[in-house]
Amino acid sequence: MKVLVLIKSVPAVAGRITLTPDGRAIDTKHLGFAIGPHEECAVEEAVRIVEAHGGEAVVATLGPSQALEQLRDALALGIARAIHLVTDGEEWDAGSTAAALVDAIRADEAESGPFDAILLGNEAGDSGGYQVAVRVGRALGRPTVTGVKGLSLDGGTARCEQESEGGRDVYELRLPAVIAVLEGINLPRFPSVPGRLRAKSKPVATSQPSRPAQGLEMLRLVVPQGAAKQAEVLGRGPEAAPAVVAVLDSLGVL
Amino acid sequence: MDGGAIVTVPLFLLVLYVAVGAFLVRATYLVRLVRAGRASERTGDLPVRTAREVVGVLGQSKLFLRLIPGFMHLLLFWGFLVLLPTIAMSFLGAMNRHWTIPWLGEQGWFALMVDLFAVGVLVGVTIAFTIRLGLRPVRFVGSYLQVAYNILLFEASITITLFLWHGSQIALGINEFPPEWAPVSNAAATLLANVPALEVFERVVVWIHALLILAFLVYIPYTKHLHTLVVWFNVFFERTRARGRLEPLVFDDPAVPEDQIRFGLGTIADMTWKQMVDGMTCTECGRCQDACPAFFTGKNLSPKLVVMGLRDQLYREGHAMLAAADGRGPNGAGGAAGPIFQGRPLVPTAVLDETVWDCVTCGACVRECPVGIEHIDHIVDLRRNLVMVESRFPAEGATMLRDLERTSNPWGRSPTERVDWAAGLDLRVLEPGDPAPDVLFWVGCAPAFDERARIGAISTARLLKEAGVDFAILGPRESCTGDPARRMGDEYTFQSLARQNVETLGESKITKIVTTCPHCFNTIANEYPDFGGHYEVVHHTQFLAELIRDGRLRPAPGGGTITYHDSCYLARHNDVRAEPRELVAAVGRPIEMRRREERPFCCGAGGAHMWLEERAGQINEERAREATATGASTLAVACPFCTVMLDDGMQSTGGGLVVKDVATLLVEAVERGRALPVIDAAP
Amino acid sequence: MATVLVHVATAAGTADEISLQALTFARGLAAGGDVHALVVGDEAAAATLGTWGATRVHVANHPSLGAPAPDARARILGDLADRLGADAVVGPGTESGNTILARCAARAGLPFAANCTAVSLGSPTTLTRLRWGGSLLEEAALHAGRAILTVAAHAVAATETGGSAAVEAFTPDLDEADLAVRVVDRVAAAAGGVSLADAKVVVSGGRGVGSESGFAPIEELAGLLGAAVGCSRAVTISGWRSHTDQVGQTGTKIAPNLYIACGISGATQHMAGAKGAKKILAINKDSEAPIMAAADYVVIGDLHAIVPAISAEIRRVRGA
Repeated sequence: MKVLVLIKSVPAVAGRITLTPDGRAIDTKHLGFAIGPHEECAVEEAVRIVEAHGGEAVVATLGPSQALEQLRDALALGIARAIHLVTDGEEWDAGSTAAALVDAIRADEAESGPFDAILLGNEAGDSGGYQVAVRVGRALGRPTVTGVKGLSLDGGTARCEQESEGGRDVYELRLPAVIAVLEGINLPRFPSVPGRLRAKSKPVATSQPSRPAQGLEMLRLVVPQGAAKQAEVLGRGPEAAPAVVAVLDSLGVL
Repeated sequence: MDGGAIVTVPLFLLVLYVAVGAFLVRATYLVRLVRAGRASERTGDLPVRTAREVVGVLGQSKLFLRLIPGFMHLLLFWGFLVLLPTIAMSFLGAMNRHWTIPWLGEQGWFALMVDLFAVGVLVGVTIAFTIRLGLRPVRFVGSYLQVAYNILLFEASITITLFLWHGSQIALGINEFPPEWAPVSNAAATLLANVPALEVFERVVVWIHALLILAFLVYIPYTKHLHTLVVWFNVFFERTRARGRLEPLVFDDPAVPEDQIRFGLGTIADMTWKQMVDGMTCTECGRCQDACPAFFTGKNLSPKLVVMGLRDQLYREGHAMLAAADGRGPNGAGGAAGPIFQGRPLVPTAVLDETVWDCVTCGACVRECPVGIEHIDHIVDLRRNLVMVESRFPAEGATMLRDLERTSNPWGRSPTERVDWAAGLDLRVLEPGDPAPDVLFWVGCAPAFDERARIGAISTARLLKEAGVDFAILGPRESCTGDPARRMGDEYTFQSLARQNVETLGESKITKIVTTCPHCFNTIANEYPDFGGHYEVVHHTQFLAELIRDGRLRPAPGGGTITYHDSCYLARHNDVRAEPRELVAAVGRPIEMRRREERPFCCGAGGAHMWLEERAGQINEERAREATATGASTLAVACPFCTVMLDDGMQSTGGGLVVKDVATLLVEAVERGRALPVIDAAP
Repeated sequence: MATVLVHVATAAGTADEISLQALTFARGLAAGGDVHALVVGDEAAAATLGTWGATRVHVANHPSLGAPAPDARARILGDLADRLGADAVVGPGTESGNTILARCAARAGLPFAANCTAVSLGSPTTLTRLRWGGSLLEEAALHAGRAILTVAAHAVAATETGGSAAVEAFTPDLDEADLAVRVVDRVAAAAGGVSLADAKVVVSGGRGVGSESGFAPIEELAGLLGAAVGCSRAVTISGWRSHTDQVGQTGTKIAPNLYIACGISGATQHMAGAKGAKKILAINKDSEAPIMAAADYVVIGDLHAIVPAISAEIRRVRGA
């Protein structure tokens, strides 16, 4: 089984978000970066597939040079090699990101054979575009399922489970396929240090695609203003129960 | 020469050969194990090491932390030392009743000492049996009790046969000692005077005596009594640098091949030689277990059982490990391409997973151990393997480690919020390129992000300003020191944080650091030197005490009754005990708790436990109850973790003491002082 | 004036709430122009859409559309948009809405903007959309002849116009390829209960609950209120509850009338999922916890004592 996992390096935002003076990016002066939460699970899923079925797992990203760190994070977990499409730091919209990744996938497949499965996170942790997976699938002509919370590969098919009202919908895709997973599909493992050290010497192929005209062009970012409100203290300890029930009654939820 | 010597000399030499040979076979095995152990740097500081031999081994200083067992051991230990020559004398005597050590064998004073110390041994054995069989203290639970009884019976019977032998010699009039110098042996002689065939009896008794000694010699290296032979070595090579420092692992030295990198303790093949000797030295006395806050509150952990478990597995698998190292099979078979040693994992074979995570690294076990065992090193090394190789550890710890890596603080808060605690204090935040302040105030993550922990930091900042100290904070450029990662066993994350901080501090040319957090204090002062960071690091209690001594802060008493809780990483690991007490005495009336100073009881937060779920009983509640029992009105602390843990403990036990950092009490006292007329106007 | 086509998700004769919000949003976009709604199969639901402001409702009927097939829906939507010459194609900002509209855009080779909160059609179309689960807004220009987008959940409230619409059924063209991705099986969830995303009341527990068994009083209170039980990320990571119960940026985003947060500190990641709540009641030992600043009502103290007391009080009031 040959698996490709596509990841995005996103700022490790915690709490208050601060923007750069031009308002076009998050100020990352004091922030680290991480693999997006859904993609972290996609990496784990890719590693598990290769552990179960043998084969090779490859990771790819489009992002600035610092995204190499997140590629190494994935390599530390057991991915064999990485493909880095290096950008100059300017943001790429989802359409051009998908197109560049598709070019890279085609080139890699021409050289080292097709991928049975391409895994992604359901949506990017930062830009939340919800579309790279379906664009990659469409361009490659491969069936695509998003929002996957359960995955098993068996011979030539992928059984994908998607949460739905009161249960799970099951899709069966013929491989090769594109699968976008949601956080919660697994609990990503913590990287071992021998794994991290080995990751330093694993191969990373780099290229510099040029950024095309943007279909969805980000103009600026805005931190939403939370409306300042004053909480009403209903009391301390169990003695507050009658006051709470009165509030429940007034809200009509009792 | 009497005729029997033709038989007895070769016979005894044969017995001696067999016994010493059996001893040496075992001793060689143990020595080979130790030589196969991983490296551990233990050189230098010869005067300190020598002093420890004198005070700790000869003087038995740590044994006297408990009076009666200490006295018992002193009798056995010095008895053994003084009686050593009688072993040789008995061997000679067994071969020929007239042979003894020239000169010494004829000295009356030596005869007197032998009598006295031999009686001491019998008293010691009696006390030991009384403790073990009568009092049955909890500390012996899990120890090999029968082995201990065997050892005591050996000691008693060797001593009794010594008296019988000396007595029968005196009765026969063939002893070299002047009998008047040996009152006990003389009394034995009187009792033995009417024994028929006393000449035969004397022969039999000396042979029994000598054979018991030789049997004991063979038995010793299989038992905890091995400590008598290796304690000298173990105490000598005990760490001399700060007790709070952990030995760094080396990940990126090009000189170390990849398969030789050590990631902590996974199998016995990963043990350092010191860890091996620790196990060989353990007497199973359980003093560590008695002092352990985790054991005390019903957790799985007993430091004693950890050390014993590792030792037992080392003994079990050691032959296979050495055979593999020799390139031969476990039975001596196999060729040049011998088997690779596949040790069973120490966790959970010797130590359960849960046990490894119970430890708060408070250091009570290390402090109590009379034979120089360093339990924390074993436990942290086990954690290192679980975290860095197995990725197997409590899930809540994974959150903390990921947060540390991503946000440089263990709560996953935004680094930009690091200065929020100081809102309104008008502190200087050191930007790159700014001139270095006299003192850098290292805030730490807990004061920066925790609402309760920050009160101590705010108080400290206010006092520094009050005293006119030139200081600054690093603000968002400060990262966690890495202490929680390191104590969790994630040495890798620790080292990356340590290097980052050392670089930041170096860029800003920092030379002196004050911090309110004993964990930051310990890491920066004791561990950063391993990464090139050398600073003068003071705890805020030390710094503030100095400001009072210099008259730069003028507190007025009136703070009520205060009991001070010693932080483990301050009082035990770093010997800061006097200054916080100075501050407490300056602001109120001190009342001490029983467990204090170098023997305090942990708050429960150390060893990354601030971020781990506590199973079974709560350590902080136990400590809160102890503080409440003093009847004080305030529980003073000098650590942000202790602040949070003991405040929680007070709330859940309904203790009613107010938990405050010493600095906060000092702010109140300085404000009281301001209200009073200033008498001494000198600066 | 613009022609806008809205994809409306339905279930058993009822249009889903977020789709109705999208329909309301689309009315603004159309600015007096036609608002077309596409419904797959569900004629009963289609009949209700006129009152929600659709001017024309198209019902696609096809024998192979019994089970969800996102590519098929995307094709139907695209073909219909072409037929109508729609200036904008709009869908609900839900998991399925986003994937269908994204597929529709991919087929057409057009850009797609997910989770918009404000849109002004033009050349280019300018819009505001959610990033970071709503912690950040993006202002963007959409360079496309046809704007394809979804409307963020709860960006607007669904409002009725009381109008009516012609309902027109049609049979879409579909190939085997459009049906390659479709639901072939359904696994029922283990136990019934109120779905977190749709619950009118959610009772959640955080790290402060302390253990898996500590959720018993929270379950009890939720049972009394007909509420769903949620939790914070710390809880799922500790293994006390399954990830499906997690409220947060990377869990379920909720929009109840009342959110009762017990022992939850209110980390950003959590609040990103709870910001749809109309009212928040926080129960926490720590009066300084961030959740207290976001809450409308606060009880300070140990949840293990307070939650059972509230349940007891509810029983007492109801019994009276």
